[in-house]
Amino acid sequence: MSYTVYSMKPSAGVVLAGGRSSRMGAPKAALDWHGSTLLRHVTGVVERAVDGPVIVVRAPGQPLPELDPKVVVADDPEEGRGPMQGLAVGLAAAARHADTAFVCSTDLPFLHAAFVQAVLRGFEPDPDAGWPEAPEVVLPFVGGFRQPMAAGYRTALASRVERLLGEGRLRPSHLFEESAVRQLDDAGLRADPRLAAADPALDSVVNANTPEEYAAAHGRPAPEVVVERFGVLATRGAGRGASRVRAANLAAAARQAGVPFDGHVVAAVNGDQIRGDGMWPLLAGDTVSFFSADAGG
Amino acid sequence: MGPAPGGYCGQALVVDVTDGSSTVLPLPDHVLRGYLGGAGLGTWLLTELGPAGVEPLAPAAPLAFVFSPLVGTPLTTSAKFAVVAKSPLTGLLNDALSSSHFAISGKLTGHDALVVVGRAREPANLLIDQDGARLVDAAEQWGMSAADAEESVRARHGRKWRAASIGPAGERGVRYATISHDGRHAGRGGLGAVLGAKNIKCVAVRGDRRVPVADRDAVLATAKDLRSRSFGPATEKYRELGTLSNLLAFNAVNTLPTRNFQSATFADAARLSAEDLAESRSVARSSCASCSIGCEHIYASKGGAKARVEYENVFALGPMCGVSDPDQVLEASARCDELGIDTISAGGTIAWAMECVERGMLDAPWLRFGDGAALLRALAEIGTRTGVGALLAEGSRRAAETVGQGSSAFAPHVKGLELPGYEPRTMQAMALGLAVNARGADHNRSGAYEADFTGGLDRMHGTAAHVRAAVETEDRAAIMDSLIFCKFLRGVFTAPFDEWARLLSQVTGWDVDSGELRATARRIVLAKRAYNLREGWTPDDDWLPERFLGGSLELGSGRTATLPPERLRAMIDTYYAERGLGRDGRPLVTSSDSRAESRP
Repeated sequence: MSYTVYSMKPSAGVVLAGGRSSRMGAPKAALDWHGSTLLRHVTGVVERAVDGPVIVVRAPGQPLPELDPKVVVADDPEEGRGPMQGLAVGLAAAARHADTAFVCSTDLPFLHAAFVQAVLRGFEPDPDAGWPEAPEVVLPFVGGFRQPMAAGYRTALASRVERLLGEGRLRPSHLFEESAVRQLDDAGLRADPRLAAADPALDSVVNANTPEEYAAAHGRPAPEVVVERFGVLATRGAGRGASRVRAANLAAAARQAGVPFDGHVVAAVNGDQIRGDGMWPLLAGDTVSFFSADAGG
Repeated sequence: MGPAPGGYCGQALVVDVTDGSSTVLPLPDHVLRGYLGGAGLGTWLLTELGPAGVEPLAPAAPLAFVFSPLVGTPLTTSAKFAVVAKSPLTGLLNDALSSSHFAISGKLTGHDALVVVGRAREPANLLIDQDGARLVDAAEQWGMSAADAEESVRARHGRKWRAASIGPAGERGVRYATISHDGRHAGRGGLGAVLGAKNIKCVAVRGDRRVPVADRDAVLATAKDLRSRSFGPATEKYRELGTLSNLLAFNAVNTLPTRNFQSATFADAARLSAEDLAESRSVARSSCASCSIGCEHIYASKGGAKARVEYENVFALGPMCGVSDPDQVLEASARCDELGIDTISAGGTIAWAMECVERGMLDAPWLRFGDGAALLRALAEIGTRTGVGALLAEGSRRAAETVGQGSSAFAPHVKGLELPGYEPRTMQAMALGLAVNARGADHNRSGAYEADFTGGLDRMHGTAAHVRAAVETEDRAAIMDSLIFCKFLRGVFTAPFDEWARLLSQVTGWDVDSGELRATARRIVLAKRAYNLREGWTPDDDWLPERFLGGSLELGSGRTATLPPERLRAMIDTYYAERGLGRDGRPLVTSSDSRAESRP
């Protein structure tokens, strides 16, 4: 897919799928997430938040679970050089389409689109906050910890990251030493009203590194969403009016709302993208509208 | 010429209503095969018979009722006809479809098309049967609504006659007047004004000629299969609630044009929804002849007015004008039917005027967004061309040129035709379709909204993929509008070009395959563009109003929907390339698509 001619340089998403998953003992990308996989869920969340492409960076030869067809896969030519290597590949791949990118790892099961958007908004110049010009990195600083794997980067940094790798400086902190980094702490993040409402605990940065952490995350109830049915869907089954269900994706929401999500029905989330893909992720606070796929005429 | 192919009569009747004389125009095989019928054949006829540069309301401007090879077969939704003429609203080619018994009776007069030229000395009705054409005095019907005129003609001449008629607006040259038959309108582009300019109130047809098909058993089997599929989920929406079921869904996805496209959501949308109307009042159901879908839902207002309710008329007379009272919207819709005016253009032009009043550009202080009584008054004045109606009867483009003060920037039209109920910023495949379509801002000839609704594309970020999808839907529409099938059937075809080629072969006896039909689709699309080019189209005509390219829409999801002019330009350039057009959008004549090759 080419965005070049049509793009006003939107933001891209980069999801780093490589890594050995050694503490998990199984590839994190393929872990189940409420009928989907963790990687598909996270890429879907990022896709919901950015208006450019989403790029998955994988290790050499790494098998990936099924992804949304619009997701672009970039191959990392070298293994074992840590997240900076994936960052270099991802930013380079995104640079053709976007000036900025939200970059994250696969193991963020509670990542919220509002968090991604709040981070990307950090690129906007903000003289009052001491940023008369756009920063090069927007780095969340949550609970006293930097979050380089849930952060925003200018895609032009790809060459700087490459140079640092060539110098054997393999840590994100090496990049931050040479870059204009805007840190967003808890209060700064929660200043975004949408994020404050959708993810007040900033669980977006909670990662699952071990089987125990994964089990705990998986054991949490699915997000609560509002479901609306329109047209003929409103004339049968649960009928008209909004209802609340707990569902991690469209297929689950349809099932619980008694909607036949069968190709003749599509859904819009928060009035935004229209999807017929049952694995499209849902997040706390979403409103899902189901209606006839043949919605013209 | 040998016998006509199956499903065809092989000839058109051209009637000069100046003196009532008529001539038979033979339609050779290669013309029929190259343009099929309906909108396609109508384009060919208009190109052949219309003098270049003719003024749309001049006597020499032809107006054609065009049938199709499927009319009269048992294939569901096939009783349709196209009305084709140069539009007084756009000055370009216009084809509008309608349906039911007029199509069947018209074809059974022994003609694939009936073309009207000239101007009768006095108001007249044109009667055509297999014995020919004749003019009769229309003094009795002049001034009547289309429905009353139709009934009057049938009462006077016999129930076997089927009539297409104009309302008072067509008589008075309202530039978006319709031609109506059996309550359904060939609605867009002002064809009623063209017929009215010829002093013709009704065209009535009666016929019982046989028009055999090539393989009757195969056609019957296909018809049975198609009928069965037409009861499935792909048409459920149309059967159960009609197209008005779009309204709440469109509101939920930020694509319901509101207050002249100043917003894409309407707070009171639920009051006008099919879901609400179906619950709160009784509904009469109806269907066209030969149709197994039955999409029509007729509701009554508290005032007693009955209106066929469609998404487009409710959007245009409701949210577009900020009116939320369902009784007033139904009343307005019924009033448009009586006057014989296109609801989309009426609503769009009135909404533009309401915004002008709001901005102090137009001296009609009573004409305010949300005021249903003002909407009804504006419609009445348009129908009589009195007061502000004299201005608004010209359509939003001409009215904005008159008012000036920058009001063209928010006049909701493309090429002079007012936009249907789709917000281009949140539906960017549709934005392209609206911009480049030959008829102007039109949803039925483009159909690109299908691409936006599939969920496979980011509908708010147009790309080359959107362009390819829009070309595909435009091609499919070109065939459906020429065969002619109702668009509401489109979801039941799983491999449309293959299926259409097969049934066209069964009807005609031609050995048609999907590749040929795809070439035919492109030929028809290009023929429309070639006609427009001859009539003065310029590249600037393929564009959208400034409103959509400058302003942005904030969505509840946190995104902002914008359509930068650079993106629209890129999509149009890609469209031209996909269509094999020059960089300026002009057709490059190739040997395979040359119109000259298709001359009889």
